Amino acid sequence: MRSLLSLLLLIVPSVLVSAADYHEQLNLRPLPLSALLASFNFRANTSLADFEAHNFRLFPRSLGQILQYAGTRELHLRFTLGRWDAESWGTRPWDGTREGGTGVELWAWLDAETDEEADEKWLTLTNALSGLFCASLNFIDGTRTIRPVLSFQPEGDHPNSTLQSTRLLHGVLPHEVVCTENLTPFLKMLPCKGKAGIASLLDGHKLFDASFQSMAIDVRPICPSEGECVLQLEQTVDMVLDVDRSKRPHDNPIPRPPPGHDLICDTTKPYHQPGDACYPVDHLRGQDWTLSQIFGRTMKGTCPLTDAEVPPVCVHIPPTRDIFASEGAHEIKYSDNDSMRCYQINQDQEFTLILTNAESTADGEARPLGIVKPETPVLYAERSFTGHGQEHGGMQAILTNPGDDPVEFVYMESLPWFMRVYLHTLSARISASSPNVNTSSADIIKEIYYRPALDRARGTQLELLVSIPPHCTVFLTYDFEKSILRYTEYPPDANRGFDVAAAVITTLEPKVMNIRTTSLLLYLPTPDFSMPYNVIIFTSTTIALAFGGLYNILVRRMVGANEVPRAAFKDKVLGFIEKLKKKRAAVSAAAASAGGSVRPAVSNTEAK
Amino acid sequence: MASGEVEQPQASGSSAPVGSDSASPAPALPPPEKPSAVRQRSYVVLSFWLVVLLLGLPIWWKTTAIYRAELPLDSMLKWADGKACRPVFPLQISIQADALQEQEAHNLIRLTQHALDDLNDFSGHHLRLQLAPRNAPLPKDDFRTALTIRLQPGTGTSASLNQESAVLDITYPPNYVPSLTSPSSPLASYITNELRATFAEEQSIISYLLSTSSMSTGVRPQGLSAEAAEALSKRTTRSLRYAPTYHLTFSLFTANGVPNTWDIEAALDEYIRPMLEVLRPIHNFTIDTQVQLYAVPGVQSQVLSKEHLSSFINAAEWPLSPSIGKAPTVNFVIYVGNQTVALDAETETSQSWMIPQWGTVYLLSHPDTVSHVSVEELKQPMLTFGGHLLSLLGTPQSGSLPLRLSTLGRIRSTDLLLRASSTLGSLARLSLALPSISIPRSVADGVSKTMHHLELACADLGGPEGLMHARIAEEEAERAFFEKSMVGQLYFPDEHKIAVYLPLLGPVFVPLILGLINEIKKLVKEAKQKALDARSKKHQ
Repeated sequence: MRSLLSLLLLIVPSVLVSAADYHEQLNLRPLPLSALLASFNFRANTSLADFEAHNFRLFPRSLGQILQYAGTRELHLRFTLGRWDAESWGTRPWDGTREGGTGVELWAWLDAETDEEADEKWLTLTNALSGLFCASLNFIDGTRTIRPVLSFQPEGDHPNSTLQSTRLLHGVLPHEVVCTENLTPFLKMLPCKGKAGIASLLDGHKLFDASFQSMAIDVRPICPSEGECVLQLEQTVDMVLDVDRSKRPHDNPIPRPPPGHDLICDTTKPYHQPGDACYPVDHLRGQDWTLSQIFGRTMKGTCPLTDAEVPPVCVHIPPTRDIFASEGAHEIKYSDNDSMRCYQINQDQEFTLILTNAESTADGEARPLGIVKPETPVLYAERSFTGHGQEHGGMQAILTNPGDDPVEFVYMESLPWFMRVYLHTLSARISASSPNVNTSSADIIKEIYYRPALDRARGTQLELLVSIPPHCTVFLTYDFEKSILRYTEYPPDANRGFDVAAAVITTLEPKVMNIRTTSLLLYLPTPDFSMPYNVIIFTSTTIALAFGGLYNILVRRMVGANEVPRAAFKDKVLGFIEKLKKKRAAVSAAAASAGGSVRPAVSNTEAK
Repeated sequence: MASGEVEQPQASGSSAPVGSDSASPAPALPPPEKPSAVRQRSYVVLSFWLVVLLLGLPIWWKTTAIYRAELPLDSMLKWADGKACRPVFPLQISIQADALQEQEAHNLIRLTQHALDDLNDFSGHHLRLQLAPRNAPLPKDDFRTALTIRLQPGTGTSASLNQESAVLDITYPPNYVPSLTSPSSPLASYITNELRATFAEEQSIISYLLSTSSMSTGVRPQGLSAEAAEALSKRTTRSLRYAPTYHLTFSLFTANGVPNTWDIEAALDEYIRPMLEVLRPIHNFTIDTQVQLYAVPGVQSQVLSKEHLSSFINAAEWPLSPSIGKAPTVNFVIYVGNQTVALDAETETSQSWMIPQWGTVYLLSHPDTVSHVSVEELKQPMLTFGGHLLSLLGTPQSGSLPLRLSTLGRIRSTDLLLRASSTLGSLARLSLALPSISIPRSVADGVSKTMHHLELACADLGGPEGLMHARIAEEEAERAFFEKSMVGQLYFPDEHKIAVYLPLLGPVFVPLILGLINEIKKLVKEAKQKALDARSKKHQ
């Protein structure tokens, strides 16, 4: 009877768990140039009924309340730092859908019948999130908010009726520096905090030391075909670590040159002499690391809430490389994908991985790097400013399609209002080296959606539907004018420049993915900030001069030069000078007359 | 120096001929000015000054003036000093005495009322008796009547409070019934004592509230000992500030991964929601719950002493942030662990403690292996939370629940009335103390609204209307006091004003003032000349 009861007690929670499940996974993927991509993924499902009854278990209460208060249907929040080097690292993790532009990016579908209501809720949302994540999200105001038309589609399952009464708003804060204080609330939202499971590897020092890192929070309702709707909270951290940098010892972090016998030399160089002259090729060094070296700590078991089916750690590496896992861990190999290995871990055991260096092949040929070759991305994109001077400027985006299929995508820019875009100068040009040079601008840019800026009220929104033929590079250019800001509108570090948010590229064909360019730094004409007082002095002086002249002309009487009455004061001064002169003349005259008699007397006294 | 001055006339006298000798002939006098030119110059100077005074000064005054809306300062201060309203709580007590004859009942009431009035030391709190109509059903939700006394003949005297409604059942032996002529009766004094006992706590709380506020003039708390006052002050500091809505957060914290589920919904339905339903006329509540794993408390020791309790809540790591929105949050935390709280006695231990104005923590011991907390386990914590919620809300401790709640309504009305009045007083003193603070129109509106609702509240302090008006008054007063635009211009140092004004006003005013002085000199001279002329004319 007792065992039956305990069995019942055990069944009840397991039923509950399946209704609101949770899983987490860490994917490690070595990249060229001794980089390592670590993708953390945490996903929690909560039934919509529980969410609406305010019963929070896997879903954090703080975020849940904000979403309910601001009537948010779907939320996407990104904190990004650094740049993804697509040329060497290939496609982005999660096809770029889990990253934002540099700084903070937020977009959400809000329940609102009118635009004003949406703005009000958006204000509530940004202010509340700002407090929750210790970020300046409250600075996302009307000038930094746009309503994208083509670029973003809801990821969750929304009934058509609710989708019609929701509004999509998108705000971006490129100036924001993402740092540890943003990671702490991020970790607090996880069911196991940073105390157990893969989250125990996340350390602010390592995360923000990475070459590229992106934290993402996605909330979306998911309605499976059978079963009740759930609200899914997905938290993602992607980071590209520099393995050499991470392996530096904690207490002695200054890099030092390796000893001569450890150097890998480029033997093809003509001046190469063993032991004497060497051209080091560090990128051929290959990778060997342990999990605790990379993250600075070991993994503390698994989170007890996590789905037992999903292995918590996976490594993407060719099957030829050897990996040693700590005791108790169980390696899983997949028959359909031999370059992936996953590890099941005991709940209460610390876990670490050791990746050994690739073995050199016997026949002297160049050592294989021992990593899975990164996939070529669908599109390369970079963006820069052109032009010179303080008044006009230009923007140039270079978009390259390396593949064999034409690429169709939406190019979206959210520009600040003080960049006045001349849309008539927008042009798309195919580079001369491309195979089909004759494609005209109209063939490349299919659609333009443009919402011009209003000074101090809203920014420019530019969305272009672009299609690029295979193996082509397209130059997308337009000109803009830099406006002059009011004195108080300049930030404290005005001479640093103004950040312009990254362009968001959403590819539609051949597959849906996201690319973001880097953000840019725009120089505006910046005044000298002692200006207001100078202006006061300057204008006051001018006014005083003009006024004095006018007043004197009106009040003074004009007389002939010889008729000027002597001013009494002037007479006095002149008389005094005259008297002084006279006195001096008298003294010198007396001295001259008495000179002969005085001198001998003096000499006499000296003689005595 | 003196010699120089003496010499001066001689020197100038001697130099003048020298200068005229050497340079030029004596300066020719300019032709006499036309009177029209002289007049014109006077007009010019005059018109410049007129422009400055009539145009410049008003514009400067208008553009730099700080808007100060008219505030009824006198009546605001009157409210703050308690002169505008004398808080009185007329409490209707109806007596059902169906067993007595009409005449007898009237006599009993008269006697009891006399006894009450004689004993009453606090005039604000006034019990008024009336006879309920015969065979009437028990009044339901009648806010006019604070308490109903049901008199029934029995074998001995006994009194008991009904737990469901505000009814006091009193039985009496037949010989207690007062005769029509006797000046006193044992039943009347018994009823008097019972009533006093029932309302003693309310009376002491209200008189304490009045005595601590600035409205104390005239209302001296009597019969309130120092210990009683201290206990009351503890209770008032413990209770939350009044708000129409409270947000209740129930949290389950565990030190590791288990337990991670709980039957909170069922437990709330069973133990908490019925109580909230009773409180509904006074407060609204919203509820949310959360489960937090791997939460380490601020104190690790097995037995928590009194000093430990304040640092037990790990505020930096536990997500107990107040909820979004206006409503204040009350936290109820269940911490799973085998810690206990040490009481003063060595062996006695407790499981829970209350944190003033914040909430309650309950330490729940739970087997390590079971990952689910059942309703049965939640019963004791939930009952504790219910009790603590009542005292966090400031409910008095004695009496039956309906009576405690109606008392709570009166206490809250008094509290709100006093708060709103003192806020008004602060605002009045602030605007008197800082002449350079701007007072926008919205503040004046808020003040007039506050006073209007205060008057309405004061007129009906015991009833639900009074509570509503006091609530509005307090809200408006707070809004007026914390108006953001009032502090914007507060600090603008005089050095800045000089730096802005001097470059313009200095160079402009020097010629203006010199011109004016010349004009005045000339006028004085002319007047003298005229007088001289007139005198010489007279002499001639």
